[in-house]
Amino acid sequence: MGPLTFNDIISTEWNYVIALLIGLAFGYILEASGFSSSRKLVGVFYGYDFVVIRVFITAVSVAMITLLYLDYLGFLDFSMLYVVPTYINAQVVGSIIMGIGFLMGGFCPGTSLTAVAIGKIDGMVFTGGIWLGIFGFSEAYPYIEDFNNSGYLGNVTIMDYFGINAYTFAFGFAVFAIIAFTVASKIRKNIKEIQY
Amino acid sequence: MQKRYIFLAILFIAMASGLLFLPDMKEKSQIPVDVFLNDIHSNNRHLTSDEIAKRIINGDPMVFLVDVRTVEEYDNYSLPGSINIPLKDILLDDWAGYLDQDIVDVIFYSNDDILSEQAWALCKQLGFKNLYVLDGGLNTWFETIMLPKEPGELASTAAFDLFSFRTGASIYFGSGSTAVAVEAKPVKKKTIPVKKKAKREAEGGC
Repeated sequence: MGPLTFNDIISTEWNYVIALLIGLAFGYILEASGFSSSRKLVGVFYGYDFVVIRVFITAVSVAMITLLYLDYLGFLDFSMLYVVPTYINAQVVGSIIMGIGFLMGGFCPGTSLTAVAIGKIDGMVFTGGIWLGIFGFSEAYPYIEDFNNSGYLGNVTIMDYFGINAYTFAFGFAVFAIIAFTVASKIRKNIKEIQY
Repeated sequence: MQKRYIFLAILFIAMASGLLFLPDMKEKSQIPVDVFLNDIHSNNRHLTSDEIAKRIINGDPMVFLVDVRTVEEYDNYSLPGSINIPLKDILLDDWAGYLDQDIVDVIFYSNDDILSEQAWALCKQLGFKNLYVLDGGLNTWFETIMLPKEPGELASTAAFDLFSFRTGASIYFGSGSTAVAVEAKPVKKKTIPVKKKAKREAEGGC
């Protein structure tokens, strides 16, 4: 049956409408759970707030387990899902830059937009920085093109690359998630509550 | 720790460990039955001999002809550029590289289109893409391309165009036919006189 868009159960036109609705819901929930505050976001780096880790690991593992079950039951063709191609060198460097930017600015691209939406000036400055970065990257592209395309591994997943069974990996990840949550809540308990 | 978090964590681990105990999945290589039936009923897998001849003559690199008859028949006669995969061997792994791809158009042919349709069905079921069948097989190929029949005198211009193409193609494919293409004769237009109706006089009025 799935993916719904490829198999024409959802037409292209409705696909955009649904994407818009999901985007609105995503932005609303980010804002409602406090993700438009840079203090909350960087809390994970300073060790006083782990909500980012909790949210993202939960999202990843719930999605992973659900997809695997849907695939097993035949509701979704796992092989038709899009896997982002891996350019290992460029992606390692890119994630380091992203991490530094996240720590310094206190936002990731999505949350900076929710901050703009509620009128935060730091969010606007951050978004301006993103545009500047995009512009700089595009202008410098001819010089970094070779590096940008180096370390190509194809559209691989961790399971493909290391030859791990997807189910074993999902279970391992779930165990890791629970351990991470427990440790995070232990740390959280031992430090002073911060108001923001 | 709050009770609901413990409950959620246990539920989460239970769902995840459920994955470990799933029985082995059955072979999933076949496409869904309804899709397959749909493909059987739609006729767009058939390519006419004219279409294929045109593409071969134009040197279309996407054409990949597969002869599904026996080796002897293939040695006796085959279309230029075709390879021979006898129907009984078609599911061997040796050929998967040729058939399971999404670049060229795989066109099956046999003497009629019975064997080639079977080859099409076998490969289609495995989810291979770009599969086609030469409509009518080599019999039709000979009737149309190799030994084209001259259309009657009253046939349309299109029929004459087709005939002249086929004559050219038959020379290209080496049938030795030297019949000269016939120019279409212009058909005289018949005019049918239309009698105009006499205007009726306006009756009364306001």
